[in-house]
Amino acid sequence: MTDKKYPTPLLDDLEKGPWPSFVKEIKKSAKSPMVQDLLGLLERSYEEKIGHWKHGGLVGVQGYGGGVIGRYSDLPAEFPDVSEFHTIRVNQPSGWFYTSDALRTLCDIWDRHGSGLTNMHGSTGDIVFLGTKTTELEPIFSELTAAGFDLGGSGSDMRTPSCCNGMARCEWACYDTMAFCNDVTQTYQDELHRPAFPYKFKIKASGCPNDCVASIARSDMSVIGTWRDDIQIDPAAVKEYALAGKLDIGKDVAGRCPTKVIDWDGTTLAIDNSNCVKCMHCINVMPKALSPGKDRGATILIGAKAPIVQGALLASVLVPFIKLEQPYEDVKELIAAMWDLWAEHGKNRERIGEFIQRIGLGNFLEQIGLDPAPEMVIQPRTNPYIFYNL
Amino acid sequence: MPAQTPESVADAMYAMLKDYAGKKNLKAMDLTKAMIEKFGDDCDKQLCKSAIRILMDDARCTYSYVGGSYVVLNPDYGK
Amino acid sequence: MSADVVKAKRKTDIGPPNYTKFLPPIIKENYGKWKYHEVPQPGVLVHTSHSGAKLYSVRAATPRLLSIETLRLFASIADEFTGGFLRFTSRNNVEFLATDEGKVAPLIARLKKEGYPVGGIGPSITNIVHTQGWVHCHSAASDASGVVKALMDELYPRFENMDLPGKTRIAFACCLNMCGAVHCSDIAVLAVHRKPPKINHATLGKTCEIPSTVAACPTGAIRPATVDGKQSVEVIEEQCMFCGNCFTVCPSMTMADPENDGISIWVGGKVSNARHEPMFSKLAIPYLPNNPPRWPEVTAAVKNIVDVYAKNARKFERIGEWIERIGWPKFFKLTGIEFTKYHLDDFTHAGESFKRSAQLRHSSEG
Repeated sequence: MTDKKYPTPLLDDLEKGPWPSFVKEIKKSAKSPMVQDLLGLLERSYEEKIGHWKHGGLVGVQGYGGGVIGRYSDLPAEFPDVSEFHTIRVNQPSGWFYTSDALRTLCDIWDRHGSGLTNMHGSTGDIVFLGTKTTELEPIFSELTAAGFDLGGSGSDMRTPSCCNGMARCEWACYDTMAFCNDVTQTYQDELHRPAFPYKFKIKASGCPNDCVASIARSDMSVIGTWRDDIQIDPAAVKEYALAGKLDIGKDVAGRCPTKVIDWDGTTLAIDNSNCVKCMHCINVMPKALSPGKDRGATILIGAKAPIVQGALLASVLVPFIKLEQPYEDVKELIAAMWDLWAEHGKNRERIGEFIQRIGLGNFLEQIGLDPAPEMVIQPRTNPYIFYNL
Repeated sequence: MPAQTPESVADAMYAMLKDYAGKKNLKAMDLTKAMIEKFGDDCDKQLCKSAIRILMDDARCTYSYVGGSYVVLNPDYGK
Repeated sequence: MSADVVKAKRKTDIGPPNYTKFLPPIIKENYGKWKYHEVPQPGVLVHTSHSGAKLYSVRAATPRLLSIETLRLFASIADEFTGGFLRFTSRNNVEFLATDEGKVAPLIARLKKEGYPVGGIGPSITNIVHTQGWVHCHSAASDASGVVKALMDELYPRFENMDLPGKTRIAFACCLNMCGAVHCSDIAVLAVHRKPPKINHATLGKTCEIPSTVAACPTGAIRPATVDGKQSVEVIEEQCMFCGNCFTVCPSMTMADPENDGISIWVGGKVSNARHEPMFSKLAIPYLPNNPPRWPEVTAAVKNIVDVYAKNARKFERIGEWIERIGWPKFFKLTGIEFTKYHLDDFTHAGESFKRSAQLRHSSEG
């Protein structure tokens, strides 16, 4: 272990135990003076039960408003090497696939210009480089772009889109999430790097209703793969599941169906597809026997967010079904219409979900040129306070 | 009024930012709305977008983040 | 550097590298052609293509905060076992992508030897998604990595085994901004402030815009005020619910408080559409103290909820589905968690959570 500049007994306790230790990770990079001071500062937080970081400020790479989070310690005299300790968000490749060479390239750049600490990955999906000085930002940026990488989003911009691994490694992908994610990321580079929105706008792409990237909870625009025709059944494989005996098809499959559309008579499985809500449960538990239909596409939902400011929201249905085929012109027209409206009329720090609640979903749809559809609601309104437009 | 160019809109935005410096933070959309009001049909959102890009790329302005992303004068410009 | 030099040298807006550069040949050949997958043992996924090709993915935990020394280690492990191909998951695990079944066992042994446990697939507890905490955030009401480490040391067997009724997703956020969007997790661990902001009147007028600071408050508790001749704001403390949004727009309104900050626990959320529709997490425990380095109150509380769920839920039921079946009164009874006035919603749309029927699960045993 590298010589420690500061004793860190509280942090050292977190090196013990079976789960991989972030303290060990920090110490692996302790050849950097920044990391020595980070350990000292963090131990102080553990002693005092309070953080020692200040707000960001005017840091970034020239011309971009996104991608760098300014971070300054409030104890610069005691821990001078973390007086500046900025975060860089590097836009991840779709699906978080890497070659060992690509990882090493990123490591070498970060070794030369920063703390050597990373997050794989940040909450939004970016590769996060944790801790560097203002003077290193331009050199890092030029080395990253030379290596084919670019920065992700931050602030009031389109945030770095992310997606599940989709068709690359999943039989349930109802559209090509990685191609879609990469396409929108490349199409909207200006919106990603130059903040011009009331607040952040996240796009997440999941290939099926299992929603492995939590798009319905976490993205302003959630694109969830689904299908319109019948679930594909392989009767021989159904029989195998029945014979294997690990799964009680009556109880565990038919009994768990939310709309009770599965009939199981002990030998044959039948599905009333017209009332199936595409939840994925039966397919999840019998992957060899059942698979999504062939007429595949996606549902687009809008407006999810965490609590700040007006309360948390799950995304709600905007487009019940869309084929989602390249070059995605229909989706891009929709995005343009929404951004145009929200950018002009949204308040500062108002996410699009809150904006829709303020102006009303009916007005929002009218403005962006979509017709209301019963799929958008759990039920019609129950109150009679209707704004009739005569 | 003569037709506006990205450069002329950038200059007008820069003048506005100088007026407001220390008084009110302006977001990209605040500048855009002000320019469209000022220049009417001679200006549009696309022109304003290009103008902001000019201000950023020639380092007259920079982005700041305080609970929102603002376009601000670059304190290091010309140094 | 002059603007012209910068312009001439800089490459911008190239976007991320195209993902196809990083896909192993087996994935390129079978892209969109996968037929089904199996989980032969904890931490291993086997995908079979319509062509018959098989891909073996081995999943290992990481602490998310990774040194480049570890990334280089992962790169060399990938070179040794999987032709240099690997990926990361949405919950901060690393996955090595092998085409040779014979590599799976030695790969697992190597990962375990290096200290990165293999598991996190199926009815288990996978990695806890979390935020930066005291390591790197200005608004943190607790550390993140430390709580997660303490929790997972305790829950570790649930990662390496698949012995839970259903998937159990735990998330941690170090303030209400929820960079980790924990609000739809089976168990959400959320750090909270419990005191109104402390206002630095000397700096506020200079560093903050007063109208946007006033507008930042969701309950309208902030008003402009002149204090000691300086332009500032005041807070109607009874109206403050400690969200910290004012601090985000105004650094002169600090929230952090070592004595009163701490941790709340929420349960029963999910994002998947499988069976029950996605739902928010609901409050289980309003407050537990910040007690570094191991947060024993928090780990005990989470372990208790997991154990009670494991014992009582039916196959495939997630925590929220289980509670919906048995009812909230029984959840509080089984877990021994106290129900308090803090569990009653009093924000916008609060009434939506009130029970408006007489359908209750009475029991003579009380």
